[in-house]
Amino acid sequence: MNRRRFVTFGAGSVAAAALGACDSFGPKSATSLLKFAERKNETLERWLFSNGSRNSVKAGARLSGRSFPRYFISKTIPMWDEKQRGVWRLEVGGAVRTPLSLTLDDLTKMRSITQKVDHFCVEGWTARAEWTGVRMSELARISGATSDAQYVDFQSFDSDYHESWDIDSALHPQTLVAYGMDRAMLGPGHGAPARVHSPVKLGYKNTKYLTRILFMPSRAGGYWSDRGYEWYGGV
Amino acid sequence: MTTAAGQALGDTHDARAATTPRVRRRAARHHWIVRVTHWVNVVALGLMVTTGLRIFNAYPAFARRGESFCCYPFSGKPIPSSLTFGGWLAGARNWHFAAMWLLFLNGLVYVGFIYLHGEWRDLVPRRGDIRDSWEMIKFYVFARPDHPHQGKHNALQKSAYFSMPILGALAVLTGIAIWKPVQFAPLTAVFGGYVWARYWHFLIMLALVALTVAHVVMVFAVDPYSIRSMVTGGYDESKSPEARNARPFFWRQPAAPRSGGGTNS
Repeated sequence: MNRRRFVTFGAGSVAAAALGACDSFGPKSATSLLKFAERKNETLERWLFSNGSRNSVKAGARLSGRSFPRYFISKTIPMWDEKQRGVWRLEVGGAVRTPLSLTLDDLTKMRSITQKVDHFCVEGWTARAEWTGVRMSELARISGATSDAQYVDFQSFDSDYHESWDIDSALHPQTLVAYGMDRAMLGPGHGAPARVHSPVKLGYKNTKYLTRILFMPSRAGGYWSDRGYEWYGGV
Repeated sequence: MTTAAGQALGDTHDARAATTPRVRRRAARHHWIVRVTHWVNVVALGLMVTTGLRIFNAYPAFARRGESFCCYPFSGKPIPSSLTFGGWLAGARNWHFAAMWLLFLNGLVYVGFIYLHGEWRDLVPRRGDIRDSWEMIKFYVFARPDHPHQGKHNALQKSAYFSMPILGALAVLTGIAIWKPVQFAPLTAVFGGYVWARYWHFLIMLALVALTVAHVVMVFAVDPYSIRSMVTGGYDESKSPEARNARPFFWRQPAAPRSGGGTNS
């Protein structure tokens, strides 16, 4: 085989391999390389993250309203059954000085904000709504989150759905525990009675149907994060 | 004695150096850094485009929910999966966010190299390029019999190769704008907000693909001899498009190889 044939043959083989790879997941051996890239990206993203960053939507901007997609992993819309499970309560615990157990009434009586922001879905679409709720930073302050609280796990009653966050993103001023959407109480398709909403994380990180907020010294993965989506999911 | 011998040897060496290289030595048409970054770019761009299309298929539209989008007629129609890579959204995203570094760093090495080493002079637009491009088009459509005189590249090639790194840079910038629309909100705003930045990212990809397809077609249709110059660096000027009066698919057979006799110009 001369050099020309070697080069032609080599290029042909590479092209054939590339064509054969269409629509595939790629070689298994690449997994560790991709994981490595994800870890490095996370380091960079956490370094880039700024508490002063804002997602700002013009006051007159149109809201998505009924076109805002409903999403949950259970077979049917998760609804809190009071007869079976008692009054819904949001537990705030873990690395805190005073664990909280808040009814919806307690939550709505806390200092709240209303903000019109974008919702960034991992799929590439965005939607706009006006969210009313309590800042996560407020809940961390009231519960007295300690310096051990480096991560936060948001748990739900939508099957076993949960997602854990880095503390900086959780304490961003636009990260809310929201109970209102578009000037009405949150509907069952959007995570009632309360959900996390923040423009600084992709949609799947924003746990709906909240039951528990757990401050932790280490991360706890998440429903989609454990299934291949990046854990950080920052926007 | 020794001094004289050394002197004599030195003389012979100098004499040979003065005659042989003029005939035999041919500088590489493309520096090895250009050749390596070219082929790395094929892999990087290939991965970015195919995984990007797989990501796009998760929502093959541009409108924000509850709104319409003016400028994309194929809303809701996914890209054929045979053109995609990554298998599913998360897989494609993981590849995309890894391969982006290959594309970015490789592009940085290429642009940094041609800037420092001078090759940028072969690509930078000059006065007269528009007229030269027009002459090339006339030649290609047989409205002009002879190939316009050119340097390393003809004017059409030059504008294509000059656009590639610029489009690449725009792809990276629009990519950052849709990766971090909150952390880099001002950058995203420059491109008209998230929805538009995503659209520009898509259009720039299309432009890069169009240029690449045109480039590959023209390599085979006009100057297949240039493939060697991008692999080993070697290029025979007697087979250049200008020497062969080469139009796409129409060219003279290259002249028989000349015996080394100093006619190399």
